[in-house]
Amino acid sequence: MLKARWYKVINDLFGNKTRTLLIVLSMSVGLFALGIILSARTILSEGLAESFAAINPSSGTMRTAELFDENFLESVRSMEDVQDADARRQISARVQTTLGEWKNITIFVVADYDDIRVNKVSSQSGAWPPPEREILIERAALSVIDAQIGDVLLVRFPNDVERRVRIAGSAYDPAQLPAQLDGTPYGYITFDTLEWFGEPYGFNELHVLATNPKDKFWAQQVVNRVKDKTEKSGYTIPLSMTAEPGQLPMNDVLQGILLLMGLLGVLSLFLSIFLVINTVSALLTQQKRQIGVMKAVGGSTLQILGMYLVMVLAYGALALLIAIPLGVVGARELSSALAVFFNFDIYSTEIQSQTFIIQVAIGLILPVLASLIPFISSLRMSAAEAMSVYNTSKGRFGKNWIDQLISGANLWFMRNLSIRSILLSVRNTFRNKGRLTLTLITLTLGSATFISVFNVRASLSSTVEDMIKWFNCDVMLTLDRTYRADKVQHEAMNVPGVTQTDVWIQMPTRLVRSDDSESGMIYMFAPTIHAESLIVSPTIAEGRWLEPDDDNAAVVPSAFLQDEPELHLGGEMVLKIDGKERTFKIVGTYVGMAFLPLVYTNYEYITQVTNRVGEADALMVKMDRHDPAYVDVTTRALEDHFERMGVRVSMVSTINNERTEAEASFDAIVALLLVMAILLALVGGLGLMGTMSINVLERTREIGVLRAIGASNRSVALVFIREGIVIGLMSWLMGALVAIPMSQGLNQALGQAVMGVPLTYSYSMPGLWLWLVVVICLSVLASFIPARTASRLTVREVLAYE
Amino acid sequence: MNSSTANPLIELRAVVKVYNSLAGSVTALNEINLKIAQGEFLVVTGRSGSGKTTLVNVITGLDRATSGEIWIDGAPLHRFGSEKAAKLRGKTMGVVFQSFELLPTLTVLQNVMLPMDFARRFSAWEQRKRALNLLEQVDIAEHAKKLPAALSGGQQQRLAIARAMANDPAILVADEPTGSLDSATATAVIDIFEGLVQQGRTVFMVTHDKDIAKRGSRTITLSDGEIVQAKENIHA
Ligand SMILES: Nc1ncnc2c1ncn2[C@@H]1O[C@H](COP(=O)(O)OP(=O)(O)O)[C@@H](O)[C@H]1O
Ligand SMILES: [Mg+2]
Repeated sequence: MLKARWYKVINDLFGNKTRTLLIVLSMSVGLFALGIILSARTILSEGLAESFAAINPSSGTMRTAELFDENFLESVRSMEDVQDADARRQISARVQTTLGEWKNITIFVVADYDDIRVNKVSSQSGAWPPPEREILIERAALSVIDAQIGDVLLVRFPNDVERRVRIAGSAYDPAQLPAQLDGTPYGYITFDTLEWFGEPYGFNELHVLATNPKDKFWAQQVVNRVKDKTEKSGYTIPLSMTAEPGQLPMNDVLQGILLLMGLLGVLSLFLSIFLVINTVSALLTQQKRQIGVMKAVGGSTLQILGMYLVMVLAYGALALLIAIPLGVVGARELSSALAVFFNFDIYSTEIQSQTFIIQVAIGLILPVLASLIPFISSLRMSAAEAMSVYNTSKGRFGKNWIDQLISGANLWFMRNLSIRSILLSVRNTFRNKGRLTLTLITLTLGSATFISVFNVRASLSSTVEDMIKWFNCDVMLTLDRTYRADKVQHEAMNVPGVTQTDVWIQMPTRLVRSDDSESGMIYMFAPTIHAESLIVSPTIAEGRWLEPDDDNAAVVPSAFLQDEPELHLGGEMVLKIDGKERTFKIVGTYVGMAFLPLVYTNYEYITQVTNRVGEADALMVKMDRHDPAYVDVTTRALEDHFERMGVRVSMVSTINNERTEAEASFDAIVALLLVMAILLALVGGLGLMGTMSINVLERTREIGVLRAIGASNRSVALVFIREGIVIGLMSWLMGALVAIPMSQGLNQALGQAVMGVPLTYSYSMPGLWLWLVVVICLSVLASFIPARTASRLTVREVLAYE
Repeated sequence: MNSSTANPLIELRAVVKVYNSLAGSVTALNEINLKIAQGEFLVVTGRSGSGKTTLVNVITGLDRATSGEIWIDGAPLHRFGSEKAAKLRGKTMGVVFQSFELLPTLTVLQNVMLPMDFARRFSAWEQRKRALNLLEQVDIAEHAKKLPAALSGGQQQRLAIARAMANDPAILVADEPTGSLDSATATAVIDIFEGLVQQGRTVFMVTHDKDIAKRGSRTITLSDGEIVQAKENIHA
């Protein structure tokens, strides 16, 4: 048989279901968030690592201008320190989507789809390997071209051969950047199909795996040696890439997202601790008299403390019962959503027992620790004090400046309004300052996070806008080789709608370090710099942008200086161009994506030193109208015109597309953050509901008085609802302020992860107003239930209370 | 019986209690000297605000006196912290309040068992047996499984008395136990107290009802924190 005191604990737990539910929910929200994040982190990290290991990732990939054959591949395979190598054909083609729009598409041709040794591509669904005259599309790319397996696509190769190909299936190629992120879909065909497109046999892409791929430096050296051999064998390498060893392309971004979610998880855990303190102190206020009685009948502090701690433990245990299974489901859903977004496979969704242990420990220990604070102060009270009808000094209204300020004397300007009852609500709000403070902290953090997430969204947009602003044009065309700049520009101007053009030249280089080691591929862009340049300065982090009379000046991404400690602003760097080393002076750094380093130099200088004066391989075009439809039509006309003039366009990117693609890729991140923000808002709302219920309980007598003097149900309820709104509005105001540093922090973290520099800060007014609406609704909702309870209390019940 | 018996069960020496609050300080007890012998039925009367409840609080250790000495059965209660006081109360004193102060979420039976549980006096089965026995003594045994809210005022107060007797204390302290009851019910409650005195227990009861006061063996009257009158009642 149980001892009498445990019956009290049990009856208190299950007797007041609303209170139990409120406390348990508040706790479980925090524990749920914690569980999701801990589990999602492990599921995703392991999935990422396993997906990566499964494809036998290359240490580096390089492309050649000329085609090579199996013999050359064999010679690379037999090189010392090369563990394995594989070759493909890569073609930048154009595809017409089912909606009739033309897009870039990258097509890979593999000799034997069942024997891919490095950067393995595998079958996702449908046919495998690709049937003749049909194509497989990378699984993440299907949505980019709005296509399904079975659809027929019109594909145009750079040689102008257009063919209709059926999508026979989908492939899975995690080594590529997920298609939706850069907007370029990937397709896979056989060499037979390639022949049908009128293209000769041969490879132009070499994937190399070094003997010790984990050693980043070693792998780089091996790749460079293969590169030298390739060049010595007479191939030119316009482009090569070196992957980060042991990582998929999106690893950094994913890690950044996980970090942010971790931060938000910790935050929501903090909020639930505040809630626990708040609800437990409310519980103790409610039971103040009973505690006094238990002391009066001989209960020691330790015994009584024991009872309440067991009660809190029970709340924690109930919260865990909700939070653990929901956390598991949530983590699995979240992981698979993220895995789809970043295009890798999750191999196991098993949750580590550690996660449960941490959740259980936090779910049981933290509430006990948190509730010790209110316990100690309530148990210190003498029994007589606890049962006394005399109010002790705490909670008295009228003494400090806040009270004075809102006491009415200073609100003369409101006197003519029927504002008295509102004033009553405002004054009530300030009665119990400790509880108000905790409620406000909780709600304010919730508000701030919500607003911050919108700010991050706005900041991402302005960052994209900032980057796009560099290009004061509507479309950029990349040509298949260099052409005479004046000819290309002249022909472009002949197309109606084109108002201005500009050229640049682009080429791959490598950084030569002082120890003669070489970096991976760095893309060099050399735009023309003059007063009417269509490329405006990118956002300069430090130093300055190029000037017309610069010669060997270079502007590099700021993240580049972090990766290459030898380099610094104002210093020199040696770049290898066309096999020759040339020295450049770093005059500035700019804000930009970290995964592909671009170095900007002056067109005049580069064309001179490379013997290409007057030549260009990229064209920027400005049109007389900038709406997407018009730009698309004009671009089409431009492409057709160039085709007739024998200028081959290998890639087209309109600024409008770039913008939507960039924003689309951020939207997923924002959606995730938003989910977390909603969770936090929920915690805040629960906190407010708790506070309002306590307020109603504490003021039962007062409600009795209000009823005795004839207050209607409605006006009693309104007193509390108004009070809830007052608290909500205060938290909105404070949240709006706290959101400023908070969004700066988030911008910093997310920006560092995605592009190596903080995002361009922007405060979202729509977010602010949206949250105002949400917070008012939340406040009304949170105080409605307690207010209804209050309005239903009859005079008899009020008098029977205590 | 006489208050000057050699070894008083309760003795107060120059007990002072001052309340400090925002409104100023109030001397609720002013140099109270009082001896209560075992088996006495002491009744304290006085107007509202005269210090009766304060006296109950310091005698039971529910509150600390500002100065003075309080001896309970030879133990120096004035030196005890709240923990030791609670223990002493559990062992030697039962307290009854005007507004019953029952625990609303415990059944009638569990309310009586709670003090025994806190005192760790009896096994769970014995606790139950004793509690039922006590409920029978106060005539509410048939309500054992109900919650206190289901009882009438008189029944609630009888339950409170049964709870006060749970640990078989030598002293029963009651603060206006009949204050919330009608006179017929009140008389029944006082009958119970008389019965307890006859069993040899000491009862310390506060009331401001003149008729009820007469039923004690001795009456003292408080005014502004001082004992202004003491008289022995000779019963027929
Ligand atoms: N907790 C307290 N704080 C301040 N003053 C108190 C407190 N308790 C009692 N008093 C004051 O002490 C005096 C005695 O009160 P009390 O002992 O309750 O009287 P009684 O029980 O005889 O009505 C009164 O003047 C009362 O105002
Ligand atoms: Mg009193």
